[in-house]
Amino acid sequence: MGGSPGGPIDRDQHEFEDWERLADAINAALGGKGLQTTDQHRRAIEGLEEYRDLSYYERWAAATEKLLIEKGILTSDEIDERAAEIESRWGGL
Amino acid sequence: MTFEPGDSVRVLPSEKPGHVRTPGYLKGKAGWIESLIGEFPNPEELAYGHSGLPERPLYKVGFRQADLWDDYEGPAEDYLYADVYEHWLEPGEGESA
Amino acid sequence: MSGHHQHEEAGRATSPYAARIRAIEALLLDKGVLTEPEVQDSITYMETRSPANGAKLVARAWMDEGFEGLLLSDAKAAALQLGIDPEHPAEFIVVKNTPGVHNLIVCTLCSCYPRAILGRPPDWYKSFEYRSRAVREPRAVMREFGFEPPEGVEVIVHDSTADVRYMVLPMRPPGTGDMGEDELAHLVTRDSLVGVNVPRS
Repeated sequence: MGGSPGGPIDRDQHEFEDWERLADAINAALGGKGLQTTDQHRRAIEGLEEYRDLSYYERWAAATEKLLIEKGILTSDEIDERAAEIESRWGGL
Repeated sequence: MTFEPGDSVRVLPSEKPGHVRTPGYLKGKAGWIESLIGEFPNPEELAYGHSGLPERPLYKVGFRQADLWDDYEGPAEDYLYADVYEHWLEPGEGESA
Repeated sequence: MSGHHQHEEAGRATSPYAARIRAIEALLLDKGVLTEPEVQDSITYMETRSPANGAKLVARAWMDEGFEGLLLSDAKAAALQLGIDPEHPAEFIVVKNTPGVHNLIVCTLCSCYPRAILGRPPDWYKSFEYRSRAVREPRAVMREFGFEPPEGVEVIVHDSTADVRYMVLPMRPPGTGDMGEDELAHLVTRDSLVGVNVPRS
């Protein structure tokens, strides 16, 4: 990425959403317990096919998910199921 | 420790797959050792859950911007520093500073 | 079972990852992989980090040469002295601006930033545009932020490619000789700690 051509820098700052703070916190908490490392998380982010289409914290959340599944701590089915439950509680988008 | 501050070095042009912490724009470029930052486990292996041991020397490496970019807009004295692991460096041409 | 965190309003258009990360939190709590206090502590940790910490370090360095020396040789020790506990294994190095040198910090690989001191980086720091251009055309980037280094000043870019986090020690603005430490700290903007600009004067 360094040195690639790029346009003007957008200096707008978005308000951090609660889920983004949570993504940050889960990442830090897992790291604190030795369940994932910064390097593993970076590697997982870099490997995301959707890298360029995701926002910063979307990449973080996606990478954390990938690592948890990789390590057998969670399965993608149970995450899907629970996420669907949560979304329906929120009344859908 | 292979290198001393002032040594000329070149970043390996390796296209090693997987997680690396050496940016593409530095590969094959000539610079100098500014300082030794310390020794750390290899992040390329930590990334896959390995121990990353033995620890590797990490250097602060300086580059002239004019050497990195053909179209660099700025004086010859402008520099860039990156933190590069020893295994990505080989001795460069020219005398040590 | 996601206790006391505030929830997004139902129906608000937001990322699909919002529900997924909440699901992950809920599952990790259910399985006892993490506890509520652990998650809350991590949230609190980041909320207490902000550019004000960096401003304090700079203001103290401007007033006290000995502290400046410590900040430049052992930044974590300097931070601890001011009651700022980095609590993070990454190295923390402060680079000094001088009349001849202006420093700019970037992380082209992933947007590393001294979060343990300054809190979360701004969106622009994490943007592809900043990460691509800061190394190649730092002067053009700084111009966008409204800053042009004076004639004869070298621009030095630090790409934090490994586990060192960098912060700039900007120069003390002229005419501030009578100011106290708190007033000085007020001049130090987050942008001046990254190097895209200089402090207020």
